[in-house]
Amino acid sequence: MEDKRHTSREYERELQEIRDGLLYLGALTERALERGSQALLERNSVLAREIVREDEQIDSLDVDLEEKCIRLLALRQPAARDLRFITTAIKITGHLERIGDMAANIAEKVIILNDLPQIKPYIDLPRMVEIGRGMIRKSLDAMVREDIGLAKKVREEDTVIDQLNDQVFRELLTFMMEDPRKIQVCLYIMQISKSLERIADHAEGIADMVIYMVTGKSVRHKPASAENG
Amino acid sequence: MKIRLSHKFIVAFLVIGVAAVTVAGLLIQRELKTDLTIRIEEEMAAGARIIALMPAAEIARHAGELAERTRARLTLIDAAGRVTADSELGDQETDDHLNRSEIQEARLRGLGKAIRYSHTLKKEMLYVAIPLREGSRTTGYVRLSRPLAEITLTIDGMGGAFFGILLVTVIAFLLIALLFSLRMLSPIGKLAAFTGKVRTGNVSGTLRIESRDEIGQLSKNINEMVTALQEKIRTADDEKRKLESLFSGMSEGVMVLDAENRIESVNRGMEEMTGRSRGGVIGKTLLEAFRNMELRDALERFRESKETVCEEIGLGDDRSVMMDVTISAVRGEAAGERKTMLVFHDVTRLKKLERIRTDFVANVTHEIRTPLTAIIGFAETLQQGAFENPETARKFLRTIRENAERLNRLVDDLLTLSGLELGEAKLHLEGVRIEEALDQVLAVVEARAGEKGLTIRKEFAGELPLIRADRDRLAQILINILDNAVKFTPAGGAIAVTTSPDGEEWLTVRIADTGAGIPKGEIPRLGERFYRADRTRSREPGGTGLGLSIVKHLMTAHGGRVIIDSTLGHGTTVSLHFPIFRDSG
Repeated sequence: MEDKRHTSREYERELQEIRDGLLYLGALTERALERGSQALLERNSVLAREIVREDEQIDSLDVDLEEKCIRLLALRQPAARDLRFITTAIKITGHLERIGDMAANIAEKVIILNDLPQIKPYIDLPRMVEIGRGMIRKSLDAMVREDIGLAKKVREEDTVIDQLNDQVFRELLTFMMEDPRKIQVCLYIMQISKSLERIADHAEGIADMVIYMVTGKSVRHKPASAENG
Repeated sequence: MKIRLSHKFIVAFLVIGVAAVTVAGLLIQRELKTDLTIRIEEEMAAGARIIALMPAAEIARHAGELAERTRARLTLIDAAGRVTADSELGDQETDDHLNRSEIQEARLRGLGKAIRYSHTLKKEMLYVAIPLREGSRTTGYVRLSRPLAEITLTIDGMGGAFFGILLVTVIAFLLIALLFSLRMLSPIGKLAAFTGKVRTGNVSGTLRIESRDEIGQLSKNINEMVTALQEKIRTADDEKRKLESLFSGMSEGVMVLDAENRIESVNRGMEEMTGRSRGGVIGKTLLEAFRNMELRDALERFRESKETVCEEIGLGDDRSVMMDVTISAVRGEAAGERKTMLVFHDVTRLKKLERIRTDFVANVTHEIRTPLTAIIGFAETLQQGAFENPETARKFLRTIRENAERLNRLVDDLLTLSGLELGEAKLHLEGVRIEEALDQVLAVVEARAGEKGLTIRKEFAGELPLIRADRDRLAQILINILDNAVKFTPAGGAIAVTTSPDGEEWLTVRIADTGAGIPKGEIPRLGERFYRADRTRSREPGGTGLGLSIVKHLMTAHGGRVIIDSTLGHGTTVSLHFPIFRDSG
């Protein structure tokens, strides 16, 4: 009895470790994004280089977390809800790792951009960063609280980011047509915008996994509107 | 299942009682049977001996009568073992009786006894035989016999009485057992109930058992224990209440984590600081509750080093709430149960003040250096020969003078401000007509406004009460505000000055311009020294960056207020609220 209780407490602790690991990873990626935006606005290449370096930490944490999940699967043979949580966690950590990579990509582009003349004040990009950060945060909040409503909201926000990305694209297109010398800068900005759009997609992926984790139903590859209708 | 002590007692008493009575009864029955048999045997032997005195022929003749008198069956047997007479069988033939054990015994010992089954009468019989002697020759035997049933019946008759006794005994034992449980076990029951009540936490009341035996002693001990316990609990409660009020009353946020790193408790200060309710965070991990990496890293560092960790961490979504976090171990816990305490100290305001101070120093240096650089630069140019050209020299000297004046103004303003902040400025408060003060100031400002092509509109509401103000300081306030309005309104704009009473106590002066306006977020910072809403805007000549700061302080010293309201692109309205003068002598 005592032994059994001990084991179950140990098991609970391991599950919590995974949950906390995901949140930590989430916070790391959020910070990378936030600092990326700061580096872009302040034209701070030192900060941008730091972000690129920190991606290694995100990568190693991802590997760590995945290992923990697999060990738990092998040793504890979790069932039902816990099993769904762990498989979800493996997926989520993958998404977070990709978000970290994107943030590092953005930082690399920022370093290049900082050496080029600024063609316009950045307005849409910081907004996209803010929304993206919010999506990561909310999707992980949804995981902690098992809140499907919040997860669905994240799915809806993805469309906002897509629209912003289109808007940035159109705007930059006019710049490039006007002045071919701006093409280089515009292309880098576009890549950043595209990375942000991909980050939002990954955040949506996390939200999808949370919905799967709670309900056991997969909503992946289905538009957010169809989900509500 | 719980067996009550009284039941046990009753059962025990019953078993003992029934066993005792049964054993005693059986013993008595056996004793009685033996005794009765012996007496009947003796009685029969006596009868037989008497009968043996008679001649054999007589006995045979009166056999029936003799048998009746001795209440036994009488058998006369001759020396050859033939039955010569029998009181119950008459003259019928019987077999040889010499081999019967009672006869054998009588022949050898003079008296024979036997208990055996009689084949002639078909029942268990008790036999007594006496030899008939003539001299030393045995001529025959007299044998008396009675059915054994006689004795058994007597004994059986006693059986009824025995059961009666048994019943009485059982009842008596039951009564004793009941009495015993009442007398002795009821205090034990009371003890059990009382200690049970104490165990569940109701430590009150005393046990009332009047008894001088061990139970009385026990109850006395328990009462003393409970009293001591009450005292201990009261002390502990007091301590706990004290700690709790300390815990919830302190302005610092305190949070305790259990061994699993989950939030176990938070105090009210913590709730207020983070805006998170107790219920929303308890049972969660730090990451779940606050989603803050730095906090988690600090905790991790503490877990590794086991030493108190102090760190400044920004909380909240945008990390704007600066917290001084101290992480330490909770002492006095049982081994293994390792709890952690986090104390949060909100240093947002301190940080802000610190920033204002460093900003101030940087700004003052900058403000002083700008005119100084100009003065030095122009002076050097003059030295290097520019004064040869009187036209240029005059121009340069004018610039030097302007800059020196600006420095002077700056120093004046700084002195005023520091005087106001230290509360050294003495206000000569009197009743002042606001229209008069405004007219005086406007006369100065209007000229400058006219140069810039601004129109100033005055709108004074009829008869206004006097305000309580220092004439000179009031002029300073109004000039500063109007100056700003002129400065920040582009050419062709308009400035409106209106006055209106505001209730019984106040009078309001509103100065509205049609300038660029100030972003909402900047308004609270306008009072800061050297703060400029638009940092990129080149410094207007003459401004020290201290104007609004001085106005704010002066208004406070007057007991009034400044309210700035602005819409970006539409202009700014500054409302000055002055207290109304009351001539109280």
